[in-house]
Amino acid sequence: MTALRALVRKELASLFGAPTAYLALSMVALVTALIFFDHLRLYNQILFVYDSATMGGFASDTVPDYVNLWDSVFFPVMETLGLTLIGVVPLVTMRVFAEERARGTDELLFTTRLTPGQIVLAKFAAAYLFVTLMMAVSFLYPATAIEQGGLGLEHLAAVFLGLTLHGIGLASIGLLCSAFTSSQLVAAVSAWAVAFLLWDLSWASGFVGDRIAALLEALSIQPRYSSFAGGVVSLANVIYFAGIALVSLAAARFSFDLRRVSG
Amino acid sequence: MRELALVGVIALAFGLGSYHATRELTAFAVLNLAAGTLAFAAAAGLALRRLRFAAGSHSRRVLLRGLLGVAGALALALALERAAAWSGLRGDLTFERSFELAPATRKALAELPGELTATLYHDRFDPRARNTRLLLASLAEAGRVKVRERQLSDSPEALDRFGIAGSNTVVLELGSRFETVDRPLEATLYEALYRLRSRSNGVIGVLRGEGEGDVSSEAELGFSGLAAALATEGYQVRSLVTASLAEIPADVDAVLLLGPRRALLPESVAMLEGYLERGGRLLALLEPGAQSGIEALLDGWGIQAPDGVIVDPASGASGDGALGIDPIAYNYESHPLSRGLNPDRMTFFAGARPLVLHNAGPADSVRRVVLASPHSWVTQDLSVLSRRRGALMPDGAAQDYHTIAAAGRYPRAAGDARIVVIGDSDFASNRYLRSLYNLDLAMNAVHWVVERESEITLRPKLRTPKQFPLPIQNTLRTFHGVGLLVPELLLLGGGLVWLRRRQA
Amino acid sequence: MTGAAARTEPGGAVQHGRGVAVEAHGLTRRFGPQVALDALTLRIAPGESFALLGANGAGKTTFIRLVTGYLLPSAGSVTVDGVSPALRPSEVHARLGFVMETSRLYPELRVRGFLRFMGGARGLGGAALTRAVDAALARFHLEPVAPRLIGNLSKGFQQRVSLAQAFLTDPPLVIVDEPTGGLDPVQRGEVQALLSSLRGEHTLLLCTHDLDEARMLATRVGVLNAGRLVAEGEASEVLGREDALALFGTVAVPAR
Repeated sequence: MTALRALVRKELASLFGAPTAYLALSMVALVTALIFFDHLRLYNQILFVYDSATMGGFASDTVPDYVNLWDSVFFPVMETLGLTLIGVVPLVTMRVFAEERARGTDELLFTTRLTPGQIVLAKFAAAYLFVTLMMAVSFLYPATAIEQGGLGLEHLAAVFLGLTLHGIGLASIGLLCSAFTSSQLVAAVSAWAVAFLLWDLSWASGFVGDRIAALLEALSIQPRYSSFAGGVVSLANVIYFAGIALVSLAAARFSFDLRRVSG
Repeated sequence: MRELALVGVIALAFGLGSYHATRELTAFAVLNLAAGTLAFAAAAGLALRRLRFAAGSHSRRVLLRGLLGVAGALALALALERAAAWSGLRGDLTFERSFELAPATRKALAELPGELTATLYHDRFDPRARNTRLLLASLAEAGRVKVRERQLSDSPEALDRFGIAGSNTVVLELGSRFETVDRPLEATLYEALYRLRSRSNGVIGVLRGEGEGDVSSEAELGFSGLAAALATEGYQVRSLVTASLAEIPADVDAVLLLGPRRALLPESVAMLEGYLERGGRLLALLEPGAQSGIEALLDGWGIQAPDGVIVDPASGASGDGALGIDPIAYNYESHPLSRGLNPDRMTFFAGARPLVLHNAGPADSVRRVVLASPHSWVTQDLSVLSRRRGALMPDGAAQDYHTIAAAGRYPRAAGDARIVVIGDSDFASNRYLRSLYNLDLAMNAVHWVVERESEITLRPKLRTPKQFPLPIQNTLRTFHGVGLLVPELLLLGGGLVWLRRRQA
Repeated sequence: MTGAAARTEPGGAVQHGRGVAVEAHGLTRRFGPQVALDALTLRIAPGESFALLGANGAGKTTFIRLVTGYLLPSAGSVTVDGVSPALRPSEVHARLGFVMETSRLYPELRVRGFLRFMGGARGLGGAALTRAVDAALARFHLEPVAPRLIGNLSKGFQQRVSLAQAFLTDPPLVIVDEPTGGLDPVQRGEVQALLSSLRGEHTLLLCTHDLDEARMLATRVGVLNAGRLVAEGEASEVLGREDALALFGTVAVPAR
């Protein structure tokens, strides 16, 4: 545990010792704030139009169902953030393993008391902490706005959980790709490719049967992630993202064995 | 080997991208997919060959252990996910608990005679389909419901057959019967389920002739909504013109009196009295300021309805500023009729008349059901309703839990008579029926009166997700103070870190 | 096999010291069809200072990687203190300190922070870690640069940092790979003096292509040529031969 804690601390120190971490945090927080504010302002304008047109829109139930805070603001924000994270997170994770291999410090790390499993676990843990912090910082503004509106934070908590799990899933994919290469560019590009592919597998439903189409839908990230935006926290969806993390961890651990064999 | 892998990635990406963009397997897509697959296969072959040369006995063991670890992790993840999906465990964190089904919906699903198929027809990018999908998933977990999705463009025959007019429409099919729901919320799906069940709960006779509420009127103060709700819950609604009736027909399970503007004729009152003595059932919605003609009758059955207006300051001001003359009730006595209603589930009355109860016969049971707040008092000044102005409480006025609704059960030789009196009829009008829990109170009163107490339940709400705007001024302040400040501070932090490292 | 062991100094005096034995039997490693190490058989006694010489690409680094367990053998075996690094690498690492080339450090960490991390990674914690780090900083004269970023240090200081992290736990086996590569003569002299002062206390496996360095620091040497061990013995014997350079094959230039 001492060795594991030491590596987690070192990973976090490396992460936050580099200005790129702050750039990533700032960028995601800014994008979140801008699109949230933009959609909120548009939503207010639409409501105002309905209100003045019908003179008492809310009470007389003439505002369309889909013009509401969740569909008009939260869903679009979450969709945009979901894709933004696919772009940003691999840029953060690409160096985690690949840089060590390129520098040769992975060999130094290997000769300590840390087992390959512990090395993988520590690096994944540090990346997950970073992603969670990224989402927490990004949600400061939406949470404050919603709280001020007196609408309760529970639904927003579901959205936050969904985005964080999505970020953790993406970080896992990014780390996995980083573990199999010494080139950060290859790590980032392959992580993007895998993430975009997994984002929505329904494109293949055109030429497979119903059952396989249902399986592909179950494997896709987007429907799982969207249900959190609706305010529903399903255990199956939480486990889906945890499953991505678990499989990525195991495969990253396997990359050490592969390297010991192939050189 | 790496060159082959690179060729494979690029070819596959372009092949997949081409199909994704055009939804067609063109020659370009096929060639790229084939080339990419071959390149990957060749790269994998070379990698395996390299491994074979390098691997000793240790290596094979280590590789096998590693691969088993990955396979094990995958199997564990799949098993846990499937188990969780099967368990259906989930939390609904929406403001209105939109995806937790109401007891009424669960009951309706449980009573379905067969498997229900719910098909969502939608345009590909219709954002409304998201919520509908979640709602249908909730239904599927609660009962024997098979959920499907179809795109409108792929289903021209279905559009004709089911009369589908637009995207985000759900068609519920039970055997050969179907119901088309073009605004799929839990409330509308619930009503469609009830219609599909086509259970008959009885006949409600609605008295007409003395300016009572009109169940065929779709005006704001009409009662077509109540009639539709009655039909949904299995009741046949029949108009009974009092002047032409000698007695209440035998197949009428209950009589509904909807706020008459004129007093019933003595003959009609006598007819009602005779009906009740024979074990009849009456649901009387009265109005303050209007004599119904049955006040004396009701008094004889233990329910006095003195004319007056309940003023409840705890209800706050109505939309037009009149303080407390439209009570919002949140106090309920324990009674089958009010099952499920509690201080969080309020009912709204647009001007209510007080009821005063007293013992009728020794075996009779007359009980209060819905009460105003303990701060309420009664005014005889009926002009508060027309002036829409609050009243000043006179000295000596009694502040108390004034009764708004009462229910009585009266054992008689021919059978139990049941009477429910509510001091307002507007609460069940089209304008207010769907407000708060008014529909539940109205329908549960009917179910209790006809002695179908198993049907008493709380219905899913027609409320849609929060539409109240956030004030834009506050939003601007928060946007600057938090939304922009946080990224700015982070960037500053990054810059300082960078500068410090250069100097360290 | 840890414990007192006899070793012979260049002057011939026999001294007792600590250390563990390293034994290789028929050790072979292939990369694809190419053979990097071919049936190497070698024994390094506990407490011995052994230099493995060879031209670039001769297989020195491959041998080190097999000893640390970073690579698995294609055939044959190697043990450290009787423990196989292929099967139980953690147990070998508990006995091991590894000095790598200067480029293989973490330039974004500060010296003290890096030493604390490496100490923690080697199982030290609390007061013991602080003591070990302070001792290493003193021993390798790193106190003036302790708060500085490794990436901003000169190569000489970076190599001292690399040495310091290897000795945090005072391991019985120290592997040093190209300790003076890229250093100027003054820096080279400093590092060689440091390594020289460590002789007798540990088993030292030194990989270098500098013959003078090998003469100075090792009691026994082995010469690798295209993956094969072509010579092995006392340093003075092997390196004193007239055809010593020929042992290295086509490229063998003593670094000055």
